[in-house]
Amino acid sequence: MNFIKSAASQVIGLFVADWVQTAVIVVIVVAAWYAISGLHASPLPVLVGLVFLLAFQHVWFAVAEGRRDVGPKPSPSPSPR
Amino acid sequence: MGTQLFTFGAAFLGSAVESVEALTIVLAVGLTRGWRAPLYGTVAALFSLGVLVVVFGQLIVQRVPESSLKLIIGTLLLLFGLRWLHKAVLRSAGVVAMHDEEHAYQQTVNQLQDATARHDWVGFVIAFKGVFLEGIEVVFIVVAVGGTSKYFPEAVAGGLLAMLVVAVIGVVVRKPLARVPENTLKYAVGIILTSLGTFWAAEGMGASWPFDFVSILFLVAAYLAASQLAVQLVRRPVLA
Repeated sequence: MNFIKSAASQVIGLFVADWVQTAVIVVIVVAAWYAISGLHASPLPVLVGLVFLLAFQHVWFAVAEGRRDVGPKPSPSPSPR
Repeated sequence: MGTQLFTFGAAFLGSAVESVEALTIVLAVGLTRGWRAPLYGTVAALFSLGVLVVVFGQLIVQRVPESSLKLIIGTLLLLFGLRWLHKAVLRSAGVVAMHDEEHAYQQTVNQLQDATARHDWVGFVIAFKGVFLEGIEVVFIVVAVGGTSKYFPEAVAGGLLAMLVVAVIGVVVRKPLARVPENTLKYAVGIILTSLGTFWAAEGMGASWPFDFVSILFLVAAYLAASQLAVQLVRRPVLA
């Protein structure tokens, strides 16, 4: 039973580390898909926007987590590097 | 040729990283309790993983329409790649500790020393679990990259070759491969998979990329620049 639980959480963990970030990525992809397939928008600007938004959310969530882990600690020790 | 190379490279690098982690567990069991049980466990896990590759590979290639396949698998690859990239960025910035094979080895040895009874089963189960759980990621990479690019044999070859190389080095060295730059490999694989995921997801939406497959190089450059920016921003000291 433990093994099945480990395997299941491993499979979910393949794609999800942070549910909010996962939701943001899915929303970006769905919006791009809707713009191209539903609204028949010109693909190139949509592709550029897709890559920009995906790269932006990557930077945003990495910085947010990094600052959360490094920032508000009680001891005034300097950052590791 | 470019697609084949990317498919092979992604499967090879992804499999290499996970194989190093699986090897650490198998070595810990083998060197502590003897080799028979962990080898049986490893073979059983590899067989199970092989079945998963064949079943899901066939299912994906034969049953799912190409555009849906590209959109769904592309999005999953994107999520998978960005997760690896996110972790690699935080490790590069010094926020999250690097994966330490010596530490992982010692943890498994300690776990084995606690379990004294029926050691054959303990060794079998730990080796099976370690190889199977690490291997699930390899199965996903091989099936997703190989199935979507239509170069399934190249993806399988990349995954198998990496496993073989790591296993041979493990047999020769007989200790955890602590010097393998795992974070750099994960960083590279994260960027490649994120780029491939973006490329295929967009094709699945019905869009065509300018310069076709060459545009993946631009995607690689964009994600590399973004993650380098993230590393710099995370490293910057926070003013209280």
